[in-house]
Amino acid sequence: MSDPSLASPPAPPGRLIDLRRRYFRTPVQAAISLACLGLLAWLAWGVLNWAVFSAEFSADASPETCRAGAGACWTVIAQRWRIILFGLYPYDEQWRSALACVVVVAMIVLSCLPSFWSGLRLAAVWVLGTAAFYILMKGGIFGLRQIGEDQWGGLALTLFIFVATCLIGFPLSIVFALMRRSKLPVISHGIGLVIDAVRSLPLLSILFAFAVVVPFMLPDFLQGGRLYRVICGAALFFAAYQAEIIRGGLQGVARGQEEAAMSLGMSYRHRVGKILLPQAMRNALPATINQFVISFKETSLVIVVGFFEILASGNAAYGTGEWTFAYREVYAFIALIYFTFVFSLSRYGAYLERRMAVGTR
Amino acid sequence: MSNLWRNQKVRNLFLQGLFVAAVLLIVIGGWMNAQQTMQSQRMISGFGFLHKSTGWDVNFSLLPASANDPYWWFFVIGIVNTLFLGVLGLMLATFIGGLVGLARTSSNAMLQLLGRTYVDFFRNIPLILQVFFWYAFVTRLPSVRNAIEIGPMTLSSRGVYIPALNVGGWYLFAAALALVAAVVLPLWTRTTRRIDKPREERRGMVLAALFGSLALVLALLWLGRLPETPLIDVPQLQGLNMRGGLRVSPEFSALLIAIGIYGGAYIGEIVRGGFKAVGRGQTEAAHSLGLSPWQTFSRISLPLALRAMLPILANQYIWLIKATTMGIAIGFTDFFMIVAVTINQSGQTIEAIAILMAGFLAINLTIAAIFNRINKAIALKGNQLRS
Amino acid sequence: MTSTDQLPTPAVSIQGMQKFYGSFHALKNIDLTVEKGEKLVICGPSGSGKSTMIRCINRLEEHDGGRITVLGTELNDDVGNIDGIRREVGMVFQHFNLFPHMTVLENCVLAPMLVRKIPRAQAEAAAMRYLEKVRIPEQARKYPGQLSGGQQQRVAIARSLCMEPEILLFDEPTSALDPEMIAEVLDVMVSLASDGMTMICVTHEMGFARRVADRVIFMDAGEIVEMADPETFFGDPKNERTKKFLSQILGH
Repeated sequence: MSDPSLASPPAPPGRLIDLRRRYFRTPVQAAISLACLGLLAWLAWGVLNWAVFSAEFSADASPETCRAGAGACWTVIAQRWRIILFGLYPYDEQWRSALACVVVVAMIVLSCLPSFWSGLRLAAVWVLGTAAFYILMKGGIFGLRQIGEDQWGGLALTLFIFVATCLIGFPLSIVFALMRRSKLPVISHGIGLVIDAVRSLPLLSILFAFAVVVPFMLPDFLQGGRLYRVICGAALFFAAYQAEIIRGGLQGVARGQEEAAMSLGMSYRHRVGKILLPQAMRNALPATINQFVISFKETSLVIVVGFFEILASGNAAYGTGEWTFAYREVYAFIALIYFTFVFSLSRYGAYLERRMAVGTR
Repeated sequence: MSNLWRNQKVRNLFLQGLFVAAVLLIVIGGWMNAQQTMQSQRMISGFGFLHKSTGWDVNFSLLPASANDPYWWFFVIGIVNTLFLGVLGLMLATFIGGLVGLARTSSNAMLQLLGRTYVDFFRNIPLILQVFFWYAFVTRLPSVRNAIEIGPMTLSSRGVYIPALNVGGWYLFAAALALVAAVVLPLWTRTTRRIDKPREERRGMVLAALFGSLALVLALLWLGRLPETPLIDVPQLQGLNMRGGLRVSPEFSALLIAIGIYGGAYIGEIVRGGFKAVGRGQTEAAHSLGLSPWQTFSRISLPLALRAMLPILANQYIWLIKATTMGIAIGFTDFFMIVAVTINQSGQTIEAIAILMAGFLAINLTIAAIFNRINKAIALKGNQLRS
Repeated sequence: MTSTDQLPTPAVSIQGMQKFYGSFHALKNIDLTVEKGEKLVICGPSGSGKSTMIRCINRLEEHDGGRITVLGTELNDDVGNIDGIRREVGMVFQHFNLFPHMTVLENCVLAPMLVRKIPRAQAEAAAMRYLEKVRIPEQARKYPGQLSGGQQQRVAIARSLCMEPEILLFDEPTSALDPEMIAEVLDVMVSLASDGMTMICVTHEMGFARRVADRVIFMDAGEIVEMADPETFFGDPKNERTKKFLSQILGH
């Protein structure tokens, strides 16, 4: 058809052309690109300048000189980081608190490895991890000094509440989900009512109710510590949301799967444990990770019912004496801690979702 | 016995009975124990306390409030505060979320990056931390004397002063309603299937509805104008204090900013998801029919995306309304804080919690009902979106 | 036992069975006896209740009236009876229903290990034997998603066989398959039949029915309309509805 000399294979567009096509296709596009670039650069410069270039890093600068500077005053963190991370935990024992936090991080990392994705292994990791955490924090055995829950604080307390919430809430959510899809109408409707009621309430009101109302309703010997009551409230809330996620996952399992298991003579326990839940959890994995992320962020709400978790200890760190101006630095520090946890977990969730999307089709 | 246990029907009945018994045990046991506790503390259970006066005051109220008012009135104030903050927060969050979502779906990669930075940053920091930050921020603004002036607004550590209208309370309320009507009525006239008129006539009706409502707003404002004052009251510094205008308390502005920004990040993702749900084929078909990019966006992508995002948006709105309860952390008297203080002051724990639950249930159901109506009205017939 | 010594217990005996979905009468007064070792083929238009009938035999559906007795055990509310019957009755489904999160071998050994408490090594040996019987031992380590439809259905048959059932139910085993894969599944079914397995098959494969069946049943609107040996059934059907159905299905 065409002249052979003209038919040299078309070269892929070079980087420059590609760049131009993506950012500068029309004058309007170019203007938008430049404006955005400017805005981003301005933001990045502002943040960097404040946090690094003009910031005061020395641990023993006086608050006055620190305040006079143009940038962040990290001196407050250098001087008060122990309060933020460990709260009122006895100074000499704070290594235990630190170690406990490391245990939690290790636990979370292990749970993200696909080779640990079996009910038994995950349960082992979490139960052992939480036990180790508890022993480290509470002490009383192995020659560790006993330290009561009222002295726990900061990051360690935040992590403890999160882990305990998940440890109680997750099995509970499976029970809820199974009850909700039960063929027995009283059970499925009854638990449905409970789940919907809990979901329609703000978490804060549930935490508050467990902290304040439950002592009214339960005899003394059943009350448990205030911390554990609040954890139960958070776990109930977590379970109500997670149960709906698992139910969605169960609905994604083909009906024939259970019938096949039935026709092979498998009992309810085996059908659920070996056939339905493994597939349902796989379907529900991205949403589940998302729920863990949300739950971790919401842990910070316990500050309202009077716990000295990381946000409260942060408030205390700048709230007294000469550092009252340094709220930005303290909140930035805490925000960075949360951001590290939450961002990496949610990125991991997104990665899993992509990987699964490729796997199924 | 073992034979009976092996019977499926007996087993089902037994399990359900067990469940009911467990629930009853918790409810009745809890109730009796509560009665006992209250008796030992010499308190009367029941809702009689609603008519007693509270003896404490609220720091923010749209309605008249004093320490002599009864509890039930305080609960009303709390709900109104929650709804006021919630609705303004939703509007701000929706506005920000719309911008962010559009940025994230735009063809310009730089704009996408900007949107993504926003979402990743604000979504991954707990809302309550952001509330604390903004509260610390607004309470550390310069004092009134050195306040920052932005146009007619004044920012100071005592609050944000904005221009107000010198209009009587009920007239203002009616005017606000008329303003809502000015938005809703034209939209309704445009979309409803009840009016069966040709296009031109319908357009006339839409315009009539719009200008009619707007005229009503102006008329109401004029009628309710306080005598011998300018209609618009701009705040001004007089001596050591601000005179005139409306003071927005630091608690309110901190919550509003935090909810707007945080909610904006989430809604931005919902908007993006909605546009992603519109099949590529739809826009390609529109382009191939010769529609301009703007026409494709406004006539094809946007309507389809709206339908896809509405159900998720409803959930997000409910979540955001519930998030107003964080007001208690910085002392904003929302519904939850009123309930909490009531429990503290009167000891009527169970009653107050019951009111709290009922209130939030009502709010949630209302939002869900509104969205269901909208959803039903604009739902595609058949299942066209699926293909 | 003594009184029934002369008459061996039938594999399945159904008397006056009724089934309702709400007010819809899905199965009307079904009477049917299947002897041990018998091969029964059930056909009929869709919605005629044939699937429902065989799903009642292992209680995937609950019947609302009449009696079903399987291998001498009555199917009633007794959980022990239901479990016992399901152990002895295998089922092959239209959509295979293999467990996608397990390999072929795991699919096969799961139920024997959990239900029959057979040790793993023994269960795996048996599974390999049955996989060889359905001619896909080389796929044992793969996942169901990696196999073709015909292969998956053969695995499903092997999985049922691993429980060493007395009776096998087939619920349209070839309807979801591409034409070129139907033969490989039918071959396996034919060889099963020659081994003396009791088989109840819902299928539209009339060639298979002619070759293998001892009796063919035609169902319509929840009733057994006609029941005869294949020769009579195909050569000289009595009922008008049967004739119409056969002319439709064999017409082209």
